[in-house]
Amino acid sequence: MAAVKSILNESRDIERAVALIQLGARLQVLEYETSLSYERLLRLYKEVAGKSPSKGQLPFSTDWFLTWQPNIHASLFLNIHEYLSKSSEIEEIDAVIKAFRLYSEQMTASAIEPLLSITRAWRLVKFVDSGMLTLTKCSCCGGHFVTEPYENARHFVCGLCQPPARAGKGAASGGLRLH
Amino acid sequence: MDNEQLLAEIREANLTYLMLAQNLIRKDRAEALFRLGLSEEAADLLVMLSPAQMLKIASSNMLLCRFRVDDDLVWNLLTNHNVKKVENGTTTRLHASILMAGRFADSMAAAH
Repeated sequence: MAAVKSILNESRDIERAVALIQLGARLQVLEYETSLSYERLLRLYKEVAGKSPSKGQLPFSTDWFLTWQPNIHASLFLNIHEYLSKSSEIEEIDAVIKAFRLYSEQMTASAIEPLLSITRAWRLVKFVDSGMLTLTKCSCCGGHFVTEPYENARHFVCGLCQPPARAGKGAASGGLRLH
Repeated sequence: MDNEQLLAEIREANLTYLMLAQNLIRKDRAEALFRLGLSEEAADLLVMLSPAQMLKIASSNMLLCRFRVDDDLVWNLLTNHNVKKVENGTTTRLHASILMAGRFADSMAAAH
């Protein structure tokens, strides 16, 4: 399918790329999700964002998603993502874009700094697709949280039902607090 | 408030709900299903309604939209009541959001 050059597909690709750039996605995400050439993406990026894309590798580790505060953000995003992809038939990248917008909206509404970037959110979905991370049901509240795939579901308790000792003590403003 | 007035307010709320739902579904269907907590079938029916039909449906003694939180745990988190370890309102509401997004996905999966 990808080999077929169609103006319609291209216009959809450009539309998606623009949406992703506006949300702050890294160039690698655009390269992966659209069939536009690197040169065209670079030009598009400069046109939409008004600057050159940041360079360097993408974050590749699953650890970040498992630390206390990022885990809560990642879990909210992934729950919204699951909801969207289960309730309507949309392509995965569109589900990521829409879920990320809904997640950001909630962060703004509750005046919490959005820890998850669109690039991280996209990475998270890829990790889940490849079985490196999954959603596990908390045995206490019944909510679904991002965990490693071999987490024991019978004994798993999420970071909100049982926050770790040092949770919520960070000095950063806009972070989550326990009290 | 007399009965007449109450009925007028229910009709008003129904009409506002129907119009908002239609706007949301027309703007972005997938997003609207999440925001409204509706099934695809219900959304398809809603979006087809003409203004005249909406007026008729809205004129009822029953509200058309139903309370979305049907669970003590989520309700306690939203209102910050009966919470043990975490007593920060923002954090408990975030917990409630995770639960709500997850539960509806659950019920959606069960329905299919």
